[in-house]
Amino acid sequence: MNKASDNQLMLQVRDGNVEKLAVLFERYHVMIYNFCLRLTGNRSISEDLVQDVFIRILKYRSSYQGQDKFTIWLYKIARNAHIDFLRKRKNVVSLEEHWDEAPTQEPSPPEQAEQGQEIARLSQALATLPVKKREVIILSRFQQLKYKEIAELMGCHIGTVKALIHRSVKELGKAYFELSGGIAS
Amino acid sequence: MKCSQMKKRFSDYLIGEIDDNTRKEIQKHVTACGSCREELESLSAIWTKLGVLPEEQPSNNVRKRFYTALEEYKQNLEHVKARPRLGQLMDGWFERLVPRRPVYQFSLALLFLVVGLAAGFLLHANWQSGGEIAQLRQEVSQIRQITAVSLLRQESLREQLREVGWTSGVDLPDEETLADFLRRVAADKTSDSGLAAINALFPQSPAIRQGLAQSLSERTSPVVEIALAFSQHVSKF
Repeated sequence: MNKASDNQLMLQVRDGNVEKLAVLFERYHVMIYNFCLRLTGNRSISEDLVQDVFIRILKYRSSYQGQDKFTIWLYKIARNAHIDFLRKRKNVVSLEEHWDEAPTQEPSPPEQAEQGQEIARLSQALATLPVKKREVIILSRFQQLKYKEIAELMGCHIGTVKALIHRSVKELGKAYFELSGGIAS
Repeated sequence: MKCSQMKKRFSDYLIGEIDDNTRKEIQKHVTACGSCREELESLSAIWTKLGVLPEEQPSNNVRKRFYTALEEYKQNLEHVKARPRLGQLMDGWFERLVPRRPVYQFSLALLFLVVGLAAGFLLHANWQSGGEIAQLRQEVSQIRQITAVSLLRQESLREQLREVGWTSGVDLPDEETLADFLRRVAADKTSDSGLAAINALFPQSPAIRQGLAQSLSERTSPVVEIALAFSQHVSKF
């Protein structure tokens, strides 16, 4: 028996069969969690955002037309949830302040300790970037979206996405080497 | 190809959205160009390093919270579906009242239209006729008063006596009519005019009789005095 496509499932959710959202949740909640985690650097906030994203899907299910790829629609909702979170927290706490430590490694040999430091530096370097640049790196590097999909998601041209990725990676590299105590290239 | 054009393709190189020919072209260029080579190596290094960031699993709390929220949403949805809306209730009520066959529906609508038109016509006619009668009554009363005043101004006793007939058609003469009449009686010293005035105003109110007595008080005619005394005596009973 063939698995129902994301689009078919979401159309059923839209038409009132909301139980089908559980299938989509199982398929995508880890992906959305990691997207949010790399944006915010905070596990607790990312879990809240996952909850918010799926509640929003229920709330706005009638607006789903099935024209976009489901994951693109899902990322759009996740981006909006993150933007709303930033607006609410703007004057409460800065992003750096709520950034979690990298995953702790239990009694670790020297290689693992070194990798832990690398992860921490990269996470901190990501945190220094503006949200849009952080988003475009996460979407292209970790979520493995194509140029066309990122352009559709962000509402811009493919050429703009390419240039933004170039600038963002360059800026990330600079931030990373500064955090490493090296000289920026 | 110039360095600036080459650099525009560096992101393609990193992501892998690039065909073999373009890849070879970039590799050939950076072998020859130190600046571009340095930049591409830097970008590739950080791009590769990002791979160490692990994918994490959320806690079980995320799943628990989602299924609780979904269950609540389903219950609310069922509750909303089960509760009939006002519009649905009204639809059901009208459905029971209105016949199902279009012919009967049309007949019923026609009947309501005719009844409505007839009721409207009757109400309008009643309202209009009631108003016209009241207006006519008012006009007749005004004409009688005007005629009485004009007759009182006649010199002859005969015309004055005709006035008595006019005043009997008016329930109570207004102040202007009465004052004019009494002035005329006081001015006319003949016994006939006094008798006519007593005859005309005899059934009227005590205030009018008092005014008449004052108008006739200077008369010397015994007949008038007897008639006046008789009218006052009768009014006491």
